[in-house]
This record gives sequence, C-alpha cells and structure tokens, in this order.
Amino acid sequence: MSLRVTPSMMHMQLSRNLSRNLKQMDSLQDQLTTGRKINKPSDDPVGITYSLRYRTELASNGQYQKNADSAHSWLDFNDTVIGQAGDVMQRIKELTTQGSNGTNPQYALDNINNEISQLKSQLLDIANSKLNGKYVFNGQTFDKMPYDESVAGFDAKQVVTDTGDVSYAVGVGVTLPVNLSGNEVFGKPADTDNVFAVLDKIISNFASGNQSGAAAQLTNLETRMNKILNARSEVGAKVNRVELMQNRLDDLEINLTDMQSKTEDADFDKLLIDSKINENIYQASLSVGAKVITPTLVDFLH
Amino acid sequence: MTSTFHSIETAKRSLFAQQTAINTVGHNISNANTAGYSRQRVSLTASRPMEAYGINRSTAAGQLGTGVEATAITRVRTSFLDDQFRNQNKYVGAWSVQSDTLSKLESIVNEPSDSGIRSVMDKFYQAWSDLSKDPENVTGRKIVRETALALTDSFNQTSKQLSDLKDDLTSSIDVKVTQANTIMSTIASLNTEIRRIEGLGDDANDLQDQRDLLTDQLSQIVNVEVSKAPEGYTITMGDKTLVQGDESFDLTREGLESSFGDGQLSSGEVFGMIQSRDVYVNDYMKQLDTLANTLANGDIEVTVPAGSVLPGTTTPLTVDTKMTVKGINGLHKLGYTMDNPATGGSDFFTFSSGTGITAATFQLNPDIASDTNKIATSMRTTSSGGASTVVQGNNSLALLMSQLGDVKFSFDQSATGNGISSSTISDFYSSMVGALGVQSEEAQRQYENSVAQADQVEGSRQSVSGVSLDEEMSDLVKYQHAYSAAARFMTTFDQLLEKLINGTGVVGR
Repeated sequence: MSLRVTPSMMHMQLSRNLSRNLKQMDSLQDQLTTGRKINKPSDDPVGITYSLRYRTELASNGQYQKNADSAHSWLDFNDTVIGQAGDVMQRIKELTTQGSNGTNPQYALDNINNEISQLKSQLLDIANSKLNGKYVFNGQTFDKMPYDESVAGFDAKQVVTDTGDVSYAVGVGVTLPVNLSGNEVFGKPADTDNVFAVLDKIISNFASGNQSGAAAQLTNLETRMNKILNARSEVGAKVNRVELMQNRLDDLEINLTDMQSKTEDADFDKLLIDSKINENIYQASLSVGAKVITPTLVDFLH
Repeated sequence: MTSTFHSIETAKRSLFAQQTAINTVGHNISNANTAGYSRQRVSLTASRPMEAYGINRSTAAGQLGTGVEATAITRVRTSFLDDQFRNQNKYVGAWSVQSDTLSKLESIVNEPSDSGIRSVMDKFYQAWSDLSKDPENVTGRKIVRETALALTDSFNQTSKQLSDLKDDLTSSIDVKVTQANTIMSTIASLNTEIRRIEGLGDDANDLQDQRDLLTDQLSQIVNVEVSKAPEGYTITMGDKTLVQGDESFDLTREGLESSFGDGQLSSGEVFGMIQSRDVYVNDYMKQLDTLANTLANGDIEVTVPAGSVLPGTTTPLTVDTKMTVKGINGLHKLGYTMDNPATGGSDFFTFSSGTGITAATFQLNPDIASDTNKIATSMRTTSSGGASTVVQGNNSLALLMSQLGDVKFSFDQSATGNGISSSTISDFYSSMVGALGVQSEEAQRQYENSVAQADQVEGSRQSVSGVSLDEEMSDLVKYQHAYSAAARFMTTFDQLLEKLINGTGVVGR
C-alpha cells in the first residue's frame, strides 16, 4: 500500500525531531557548563561507582596528607629539642672533665657546679617541652607536665613518664607513633645513667671536692649521650618514613585526580565540536520546519 | 416511455449528491486538526435504474439510469492499527512515569556532588581523624559532633524526600483513577448513543471517533483489551471488565493495587506509578535504612591495640586483639568518655522514634549532642586506689573510628535485596547509586523506544485516517465541477422543455 502523507504527519515528525535535537543540545550544554560528563547516575552507571570511589579516596587521602604534616611537625620539634639536650650534655661533659682534672680550687668547682645546676634546670625545661599545648615527653598523658617541680617532694630522677604512643594515621591502616617518652631520652629511675641522677652525683661530688667521684660519672654521661643520640637518629628515621609516606600520598593524589578526571570530566574539544554540529542540525531542522508548513493546494486555487 | 420530467429528477439527484460530497469535504477540512478525527468519505452509487415500461417487455432501450445517490458517509479507519496503537501506548504510559520517578530519585540522591551522603560520610571520618590528633581538644569534638549531625540530617532529609515522593505517587494514582473512571463512563454512554444511531442504519462517525480517542487515552492509563460487541466496545483490563455496553465499572486505588499484585494490571501509567512507589522508591528507602542501621550497629572486626583497657577490666591488653563489635555504637562502647572516673562510651547513634534505626529516625545520641565530652576517644585508663581515670591523650578509639571508612561491615542481606552481605559503607552506597543509575538509564531507553514505536503506529494511523488538505481541495474541485455540470444539465433540459412547451404548436404564426 502506498503511504498517504498528510500534513499532520509531517508536523508530528517535525516537532518530534525538533524536541529530540533540543534534548541533545540540552545534554551537551549541561556537560559543557558543569565540565563533567557524569552529571547524574544514569549518565554512566558504571562510571558513577568509580567516580564515587575516587572522590572518597581523594577525601581520605587529603586527610592522611594533613595527618602526615602534623606527624612531621611533631617529629621536627622532637628533633630540635633532643638536639638541644645533646648540646647541653656536651657542655656538662666538658665541665665535668674540666672539674675532674688537675688542681681545681674549691671555688672553681663551685662555679662549675653553679653552671651544671643551671644546665640541669635547662634539661628539665627541655624535658617539659610543649608543642601545641602538649608535653611531648609524657606519652599519652601529654596534658600533664612530666617533670613538675611544683609537686611536693619532686625529684627529677624518680619521675616515671607515660609510655603510651601518640600515633597518627598516615595511610590506610598505617599508624605511626611519633613520640619518645622522657624516660627513653633522659633515663628511667632505675638506670645508672639516668641523667638527673648522674648530675646530682656530679654536683654533690664537686661540692665536697671529690673530683675522682665526679670523674667516675663520665662513663655514665657518655652512655646517656649515646642514648640521646640514638633517640635523635630514631626520630630522623621516622622523619624519613613520614616523608616517604608524604611522597606516596602526593603521588596517589595525582593518580586519583587523574583517574577521577578520566571518569568524570568532559572532553571539551569533542563537546564543543558536537555542540556546534548539533546547533547546525537544529538550525537545519528549524529551516526545514519552516518549509514543511508549506502552502497547500489551497494557495494555488483561484 | 419515461416520464417527461425524468431528467430533471436525475439532475436534481446529482445536485444533492455532489452537495453532500462537498459538505463532507468541508467537514474534513474543518477537522483537519481535530484530535482523533478520521477523514470521512461519501459513497456515491448510481441509483436504481428503471425498467422500460410495458406489459410484457417494452422494446425501448432498457435500464434507464436515474442518476446518483449518496448511500453512506463512512470514516476511513483501520481498527487493527488502533489495537496496535493501544498496545504500544500502555508502555508509553508505564515507562514515562517510571523514567520520571527514577530521574526524581537521581536528583534526590544528588550524586556525584560535594553535598551528597557520600561526601558527608567522608567529612565524618575526617573529623574523627582530626580529633585523633588532638583527642583532648574541645574544638575537634565539636567538629565530630557537627559532622555527625550533618550525617544524620542528610539521612533524615533523604528519607523525608523519599516518603514525600511516595505520597506524591499515591495521590497521582488517585488522580489517574478519577480520570480513568470519567473516561470509562463516557465510553459507556457513547456505546449507548452509537448503538441507537447505528440501529437506524447510519454510521455514527464522529461519535465513534470520540469513543476511539477516549479508548486511546484510557490505554495510556491502564493496560486495556478492546473487543467490539453488538452493544459497543467491551473494555477489559486483564480479566477485569471495565466497560460493557452501557455499563462502566469504576476503578479504585485499592483495587488497582491488588490487580498490580496479581498481575492483571501489567502496564500503563498507574502500573508505572505503583511500580515506582512499591519497587523503586521502596527499595531505595530500604537500602538507606539498612545503610543507617548498619553504620550504627552492623558487625565489624576491629583491632584493639595493645595497652587498651577494655571496659569493665583494669588490666591493659598485652597484645593487639581482634574483636567483632556492633558498628559505630559497639565500637564507641569500647572506649571512654572524657568524664572521670572513667565512664564507658554510650551508643553513638540512636533513633528518635520507633523500635530501631531507620534513615528517618537516625540521630546522634542526644546526650552526645548536648555534651561533646560524651564522645569517647580514649581506650586507656589508669587505676589507682580502686578508682580508674581516663588517659585523655589516648586516641586509639578516635583512630579506629577514623579508619571505619575502610572497614567491611556485615549487611543484613534479607533487608537490602541487593546481594551485598559484607562491604565497606561507601562501596554499599556506590553500588546503590550505581544500581539506581542502571535502572534510570534502562527506563529512559524503554521510554524512548515505546514512544518511537507508538509514534510509528500513530504515523500509520494518520496515513490512513488523517485529513490531507491537498486531497480535500482536489476533491472539492472535482465535486464543484460535477455540481456545475449537473446544473448545466438541468438548464439544458429546462431549455429543451421550453422549446417543447412554448415553441411547439405555433405553425404558421
């Protein structure tokens, strides 16, 4: 059967095509204005699941980066104060050596003692170092001053610091303890080379003019200095680890951003071309439309 | 011997017949844009010829023509195409509603975005992570509280939007039921009217057009089968009769819901609405409820670090211990709040009403909302003299909380129906969003296909029944000429008789 064509069929077809072209334009405009090819789940149901995963991973990655920075600053601070402690120890060793040899009159020993007492106070200050309001050498009880001289019957060598770890999460399932306890650095109460015990002995020996007694403590001083050096290198190793983590996190961020962009981002060049083509098609369909509403036989009959 | 005036009669019949035809052309042109109109045609037939007169048989030339008669005015229409159209149209109805609802769902879910549930979730974990760096810090606690509130709020809000959508669909069903009932009773009264007219031997063209148009409209609302009986259209939906003769049987929402259940209602807008409401939206609500409840109470395995003191004990664990706890709430109860003497954490999330956590009743424990010291971060206590105090600088619990984003939760499969029994919260959520995307994409495609097919059938119908102005104009010219010629014939005969009457019998004048 030959198909009759009536004007209303042509009109229907025309309006259908116009609306299809418009819809296509709308979707292209949407992608152009948001810059994304996934604007709702149905645009790409598989892509959206990846897109959501990348977004979540980027968020947690950003958090790990922040945490790693915090860990880094804690470790840097530790490094600084342990370095200071090392310098103080060096000076104490010089003074003790100086006081132990030859013929120092008592007043010279008293002067040395004065300085050593000063240095002891300085070590106590270092042991009470605070970062962001936290006492760094008191484990998880960082809200309390570890070597608190205001406590009745305070004796620095008897202080027990908390051994809890201050841990930072710097990756998926990676937590890094960043602190050293005061006892690790300055010695436990029972240690023969507890720095405060050694200092007390040196001071009392010098006070009574017993130079050889003071000299006997030099070995203890040296072992303690080694321990402080070790603590410092341990901090250095942790700093390296954190920096490695930071590099990894930065790389991961680049990768994730890249994958997210591949999944979500619209291809601008292609979009612009498509949208131009679509505009032309729409223009064409409009002008065809104007022709479809043609004159009929009516216009020609007189 | 014919009558003297026989030819005048013939001419007159011709004039009338052409006039009827011209009038019908006019009727067609008038209705060129009327919805559901099918073009009409006048059947012209030569009227009954005359036998030559005579007792036996006249020798005059026989079978004298007597002109023309308009025997019928019929509409040009193919009922097979109508059936096809109605069959397609029900799918248009069903899929348009479904794709519409699913795209509403997509905008409720609002992904990918920086304000959806996923992103609030991320912020919640991040707040815990920040708090783990300063567990004694009040600001960090407040931020955890705010993000937790934002999380419960977005669940509550999404749930509210979903219930609203359900209510909207229910009221749309009511509107559609009313519409269908009106259409059905109109069809029933048209049945009566058409039967009356056709009983008199005429074709009730325009009434039939109306009836067909109404049936088309009805076919978009529910799936219908139309059969033609002597008493008019009998319309059924599955095995339910909607219209029979002059009777229509009203639909109700409850009735349609049960027809949806037993498969009698299988397509059309109402089907799409019930499907959207009871399957898509409902399913999504269920999954959201499961998500909220699992986040709060689903089984997870956590590793409690050495040195932690479990609630109710005083000796620290000597080694890292794996434990299974019930979600965020269970984990929160393993820790201690900032209060002294040491107090264990309470439920972190609770429900505002009812018997359990759903997306609608999901809330932060009001005690925590009013006092952030009730947020547990520490897992360590020290005891001296029978009283145990919390080590406030311990951040083990905050760390565990901040890592929950990567922990697999156990989901109650029977409640979700999406086949996930164990996964991270965000994987469950993205699979939910992904599934919604698939459904929505499918519905859009189905809708476009059904529209294309219905359009195609409609095109065929138009091709048969549509009015073509060109055609009508050429018919008009044709009939006008025929009319003019008949009038000329009449004039000719008039002159002929003039000659006979006035011009004869005047010999020699």
